[in-house]
Amino acid sequence: MRKMSGLERVLTALKCKEPDRVPHFERVAKRVIEGILPGASYEDLVEYLDLDGIRFIDRTHSWSYEVVDEARRVKRDQWGGLVRYTTEDNPIPFEPAIRSEKDLDNYVLPDPDEEWRYEYLKQVVKRFKGERAIVVGVTDIFALGRENFLGDVGYFRAMVKNPDLIDRVNELLLSYQLRYIKNCIELGADVLWINGDWAMTEKPMVSRQFAQRFLTPPLQKLVEYAHSWGVPCIKHTDGNIWPIYDLILDTGVDGLHPIDPMAGMDIGEAKAKFGDRVCLCGNVSCAFSLVSGTEEEVRQETKEVIRKAGRGGGLICMSSNSIHSGVKPANYLAMVKAIREFGQYPLALD
Amino acid sequence: MVNLEDLSQAVVKGDVEAAFALTKAALEAGLPAGEILDRGLIPGLKEVGDLFEEGEYYLPELIVSGDAVAQALELLEPALRQGGEPHMGKYLIGTVQGDIHDLGKNIVIMMLKGNGWEVTDLGVDVSPEEFCAAVSEGDFQIVGLSSLLTMTMPNAARTIEALKKAGLREKVKVMVGGAPTTPEWAAQIGADAHAKDGPSAARVAAELVGKS
Ligand code: B12
Repeated sequence: MRKMSGLERVLTALKCKEPDRVPHFERVAKRVIEGILPGASYEDLVEYLDLDGIRFIDRTHSWSYEVVDEARRVKRDQWGGLVRYTTEDNPIPFEPAIRSEKDLDNYVLPDPDEEWRYEYLKQVVKRFKGERAIVVGVTDIFALGRENFLGDVGYFRAMVKNPDLIDRVNELLLSYQLRYIKNCIELGADVLWINGDWAMTEKPMVSRQFAQRFLTPPLQKLVEYAHSWGVPCIKHTDGNIWPIYDLILDTGVDGLHPIDPMAGMDIGEAKAKFGDRVCLCGNVSCAFSLVSGTEEEVRQETKEVIRKAGRGGGLICMSSNSIHSGVKPANYLAMVKAIREFGQYPLALD
Repeated sequence: MVNLEDLSQAVVKGDVEAAFALTKAALEAGLPAGEILDRGLIPGLKEVGDLFEEGEYYLPELIVSGDAVAQALELLEPALRQGGEPHMGKYLIGTVQGDIHDLGKNIVIMMLKGNGWEVTDLGVDVSPEEFCAAVSEGDFQIVGLSSLLTMTMPNAARTIEALKKAGLREKVKVMVGGAPTTPEWAAQIGADAHAKDGPSAARVAAELVGKS
């Protein structure tokens, strides 16, 4: 088969078809980059490892923050809540923006059209457009509303006691994100990565009814809008989503990440149940093998993922969340190498 | 006459107003706070825990039940304290250093409080030194360590080591939990117990102090 570009590979897999080889891309923590290519930027690493895509998130590259407490590494995010920085490069919300309906009445949304928000995207487009998939993070409406806007507890409480509040929040945040998506697509985004956790290890965070009532409608709007521009979407959610996977797929998403193995999601089972409907993105464990396994264990696990889910295409082999700061650099390298070793189509694995 | 089963049901339904009104009425009718807890709140929370484990309840339902319990406890606490010691004992909890996951910890706290524990929450990203300082200052029966990240799980072990070094290990029982943790790992790092979720955390805590 003709050698494909990274972009072609990713787009082909997202159509559930077979590229020349199993595609791979990842967001990689600075600490790991430092261990692989000291002094290099993420973009340099993407080129060095010949990753098929480059992915970044809105939280880190297009939201504004102001410093609140330098020593404690606390900042206020653009929505109005407080975030803190930990071992990871991305900020973690801990105090929500909205505490009461009154806060919401007077709320002024940040402006999604500000030019600076797209600076990084423009740089990436300039360097990689047409060659590697430019995968732009869009925090989904449930996660944004829950983590940054109302806080977990406030959000869950309102789902039961004050559903209208959730509807209002959803509508507000959707208006921002749709505009953000439009701007990103016009500037060259190839794929949208809709991140936001819907599940925990045992089961989804909310019941099927609540997922249907509050979570999937705004996701579907994001997906339909992106599709109206011909841009595919990958939905990311950790956790056990067996009880609601059909609802997620019904929104029309093109890819599903990461098929969380720690939550008992088996990628072979996922392939059998819905591998023809959606591209599977996952699921080499960044809880176990990538953190504490040997390189050989990582190689074997990567091979297993490809064996279970690679047949006929429709697989982007990735980690089970991200290459976070606890991943051993050598193990990540072993994973990339194994994808190249075992991921050539036609697969010769059984 | 106040029916404490109604209070249990108010907890199950997450009916904050009813939980408040029923607790108030029960106290006014002269029922001892301990009995309101034992026959009203605790059975209610037990049912909530069962419903959660059976897959009927999810986080939203858990949160509003927690709200109902919190309301009732606000009324009960002064009376519960009059006896001096808290009903079950004092529990210190925190998420280990480097880890900021707190949803699970907060649910454990809610379950413990609802079951009569006085809980002190150190928050997230708590260093071994901070745990030690709190243990040496307070008189806790149990310390709970929450850990969701495999990369920071060693910090739970470090906390236990630090307690030993500071001569505080014998003073408290140590419980660990969090999605990637297992009873085997708990034993390996020298913890006294492991619990897989909020309801079992309350059960195990009671066992540890011989009050189950
Ligand atoms: C929500 C979530 C987040 C939220 C946290 C919000 C918050 N305030 O807590 C955010 C988005 C901020 C987040 C960040 C990260 N996360 Co996270 N996150 C999750 C997720 C989806 C759910 C966890 C959760 O809240 N569950 C709900 C509660 C109710 O369950 P629970 O925590 O298991 O708690 C129950 C029991 O474990 C037990 N328990 C818990 N604590 C205790 C304590 C005691 C004493 C006892 C007895 C019992 C007990 O009782 C609880 C109640 O029933 C999990 C996915 C998963 N599979 O679990 C990933 C997950 C935990 N995260 C993960 C990762 C990698 C990260 C990040 C590194 C990602 C990144 N690249 O930045 C960062 C880490 C930041 C940091 N330094 O800590 C990985 C961890 C892998 C591993 N084991 O090492 C997971 C498993 C996802 C995955 N697919 O791999 N995350």
